[in-house]
Amino acid sequence: MEVETSSSSTASLVDKAVVPGDIVLDLTSMSDQTIRLGAGLRQYSDVLSVVKAGKLKFKKPNKYWVESSQKRYAPSVEDTVLGIVVDARADNFLVDIKGPTLAFLPVLAFEGGTRRNIPKFEIGTLLYVRVVKANSCMNPELSCTDASGKAAEFGSLKEGYMFDTSTGLARMLLSSPTCPILEALGRKLSYEIAVGLNGRVWQKILVEKLMQRVQG
Amino acid sequence: MSAGEENIATPGEILGDSSQFIAGKGTYLAPNGRNIHASLTGQRRLVPPPPDSAEKRLTVEVVGHKTRGAVPEPGVVVIARVTRVMARMASADIMCVESKAVKEKFTGIIRQQDVRATEIDKVDMYQSFRPGDIVKAEVLSLGDARAYYLSTAKNELGVVSAQSIAGATMVPISWTDMQCPSTGQVEKRKVAKVL
Repeated sequence: MEVETSSSSTASLVDKAVVPGDIVLDLTSMSDQTIRLGAGLRQYSDVLSVVKAGKLKFKKPNKYWVESSQKRYAPSVEDTVLGIVVDARADNFLVDIKGPTLAFLPVLAFEGGTRRNIPKFEIGTLLYVRVVKANSCMNPELSCTDASGKAAEFGSLKEGYMFDTSTGLARMLLSSPTCPILEALGRKLSYEIAVGLNGRVWQKILVEKLMQRVQG
Repeated sequence: MSAGEENIATPGEILGDSSQFIAGKGTYLAPNGRNIHASLTGQRRLVPPPPDSAEKRLTVEVVGHKTRGAVPEPGVVVIARVTRVMARMASADIMCVESKAVKEKFTGIIRQQDVRATEIDKVDMYQSFRPGDIVKAEVLSLGDARAYYLSTAKNELGVVSAQSIAGATMVPISWTDMQCPSTGQVEKRKVAKVL
């Protein structure tokens, strides 16, 4: 089997599979530019190299990142995820979001949240939340509001069924235009679905609507 | 008995009478209120009273042989290494007290309200310290059983030395930013103004 050495031409790596060690960009040959690095890339002095196996993506004008699909989730800011309440403390809930550590959901991080109307989540409640702070040394912080403070569909998900997937499948379900699977299911059934970027999907079939369609 | 032996005291030894001496460091007053005993092994020393006090008695002290390691006291500046950063506080291992290294481990806590002097409720701990940073802090109090309370709320206190994500020692560029020399990335810290 032939072993290929990494080529020095950089434009060819975009949208291709990359492994740790591949050099994406050689900065000595580039003039003053701002390049934004996303997940899976790191700068070593004057070379940008890959640290996580996956597919290299590029978005104009200057953003590079590596997309990979795993069962484990690496928390990052502004992701919407599905979490399960593990414990309730005085000022935050401990939520499992399939990351390396538990995440904290502050008790006041709800629309119109005050000390008097703290929601009572039981252990095991499924929540649709947004990641507010995520860095390597602290537990991630979550919120049940969007950036402007409105509830926006965040909160607990009742009934339905939850299952685990890989992060790649979750991203595919959330891609635009609408994923064909969701459209095909929608033609046969009426359902609600919540997809978490951490590889958790919740779905609820709307039984009354289904009965109406069957009968009418 | 040679002159040298008279100066050495052992624990329990009676050093004098409370009418003639005051009990100083390394000594204690017996329960009967009259005798002063040594509590350490070491050299007996007499200290004259301060000139402007009404006290006429000398203070007798016993100075131990072993130099004890430094111990943090409220008001002293210490050098510590940050071990954990959490939402409302950071914990650090105290390594030096003023310029003496400590012999045993002391733990300190820097609370969110003690990081800086202005806008203390908007402090983001992750943008002030990271694990592994060396900080210069002042001891506020003895704190609780677990840790001393430290403060970096002065211009000359804060991060003195830190490593960037790439692994190089960063250069301070303002009181909130430090830059990595090999990648050029700027990271946020509460930087000490070292003159």
